[in-house]
Amino acid sequence: MSDIINANPTILNASDLPTRHSHARKKQSSSAYIADSISRLPTSRSLLYDPFSSLPTGEDSAYASGASDKDEDEDETAAEDIDEQEIYDLISTISDPEHPLSLGELAVINLPHIHISHGTPTPENPTPMSHVLVEITPTINHCSLATVIGLGVRVRLEQALPPRFRIDVKIREGTHQSTDQVSKQLNDKERVAAACENETLMGVLSNMLATCK
Amino acid sequence: MRLKSIGSFPAQPDRVWCAVPHPHLPLVATASTDRVVRIYSLRDFSLVSTIEGGHKRSIRSLAWKPNAKGESVLATASFDSTTGIWHRAEHAHDPYPIIGGDEENEPPHSDEREEEEEWRFAVVLDGHDSEVKSVAWSPGGSFLATCSRDKSVWIWEEMEGDNYETVAVLQEHSQDVKMVVWHPEEELLASASYDDTIRLYKEDVDDWVCCAVLTGHTSTVWAISFENAGSQSRLASASDDQTVRIWHRQPKAQSASPAQQPSIIKQTDDGSQDWQEQSCLPKAHSRTIYSIDWSKSTGLIATAGGDGRIVVYKEENVAGDESTQGDSDGSRKEWRVVAQIPSAHGVYEINSISWCPRWDKHGKKMGEEILLSTGDDGIVNAFELKL
Repeated sequence: MSDIINANPTILNASDLPTRHSHARKKQSSSAYIADSISRLPTSRSLLYDPFSSLPTGEDSAYASGASDKDEDEDETAAEDIDEQEIYDLISTISDPEHPLSLGELAVINLPHIHISHGTPTPENPTPMSHVLVEITPTINHCSLATVIGLGVRVRLEQALPPRFRIDVKIREGTHQSTDQVSKQLNDKERVAAACENETLMGVLSNMLATCK
Repeated sequence: MRLKSIGSFPAQPDRVWCAVPHPHLPLVATASTDRVVRIYSLRDFSLVSTIEGGHKRSIRSLAWKPNAKGESVLATASFDSTTGIWHRAEHAHDPYPIIGGDEENEPPHSDEREEEEEWRFAVVLDGHDSEVKSVAWSPGGSFLATCSRDKSVWIWEEMEGDNYETVAVLQEHSQDVKMVVWHPEEELLASASYDDTIRLYKEDVDDWVCCAVLTGHTSTVWAISFENAGSQSRLASASDDQTVRIWHRQPKAQSASPAQQPSIIKQTDDGSQDWQEQSCLPKAHSRTIYSIDWSKSTGLIATAGGDGRIVVYKEENVAGDESTQGDSDGSRKEWRVVAQIPSAHGVYEINSISWCPRWDKHGKKMGEEILLSTGDDGIVNAFELKL
């Protein structure tokens, strides 16, 4: 990665990036929940060496208790606590692997390209899944780092979101010359799991994720 | 019919990729991201033994060698690009007969377990360039097949003294190979791939060759399972395209009189086989289907996947009068969903589903099958099928 692939990317002004203004207070409880969850994430060092095997022990229990607390406290709205803006806040702060800029500033991550749907609990299935789809816009259409960026987004969301979330990370249609291949890789559970055991790759990812709040 | 939980095995700290029942003992082995193989008793779901330290990365799958005499032999496939072979003596006082262990003849069990004797590491099979995803023994136990993200399928033959020789490196797929499975009776190997196809291989004179390519799935084929042979040969496949398909081997048109046609199709000149898609099972999954198992005793098919759902399908006879596309006897067969359970692992994905015999606490087979599922929650669950 010594060659800069896109030397002159378009950069958005930080003040133009989407934020939650009026709803900030209202959503505090769930934001606090996320912040709490994130604070329990492994340190970058353990992430680097053993991202997945270090996660589920500590983190699942954090979620398990977090989720059950929620169910008691706000049963009715439990499935609606995470929205597109919160997903945006989680991933737009990831650093680009070759620029000292965030994926939000580079418009790789855009709020309108994040889609969330929540399942409805039924007697048959009291714990329905939630689904988040993130469409990535690479800065240039032959960006060879699209896979790394996508993997960073996926890893970030897998770590930060409760386990009921099913995560799809795709390259936005028409923005990359091999959209389908990259998207297929990013959503292959086995490939992602194996990639997360690759120390070199996880080193790159942990640098990208180091700027996440 | 409905699926009813009958319990879980002790929780593991990380994702469990698969659970594979022992060929004749009441044991099941699991492969996990934490690089540990755990062997549990199917009598009381307790942990019997573990294999640790053999692999540097996730253990993705494993296989028990059939017909191993006097010992249990386990092959482990790992993301560290190697396959390990492990041996463990079946204890001298083992309460279970080793060969032909028919449930009627089994002596009453004692509480002894095979804990005294440890697993012995026999050999590591090197050769793949990247993650080994699946491993499978041929029905007689003489061949071992492995497949990898390096797009290749390898066939190994066991030689004297823990030596394995590579007898074939098959590079037919254009992408990762997800799973290899042997036909239950023939030395016919099938592989499923990220390239959306399934390929079949057999030995032709001295070389292993690809004898059929099954196309139809529109995304990664994650898992395949053969029907217990009998008179026909069929293969079921599960895919990221959320469909389950049944493939049927067509009899050779130019072969001898059908009356003399054995179930093992006589080879013709080019050795190729004609496999056709026979049916697509009713859609029941809303995410990738990661696993499928076609019961060798009941003929039921079970699937599980990313949506956390377990589905059981049954092939039923339907009256043929409404359809002209029936068999010669006028009746028609159709696959139906006969049982399913959503969220079988809570909110977590299910990585594998497998049928296995049900054992009672005394180590006797109860003559029915249960389903074992493994999940991202580190849990192995057991289900029975109630009428």
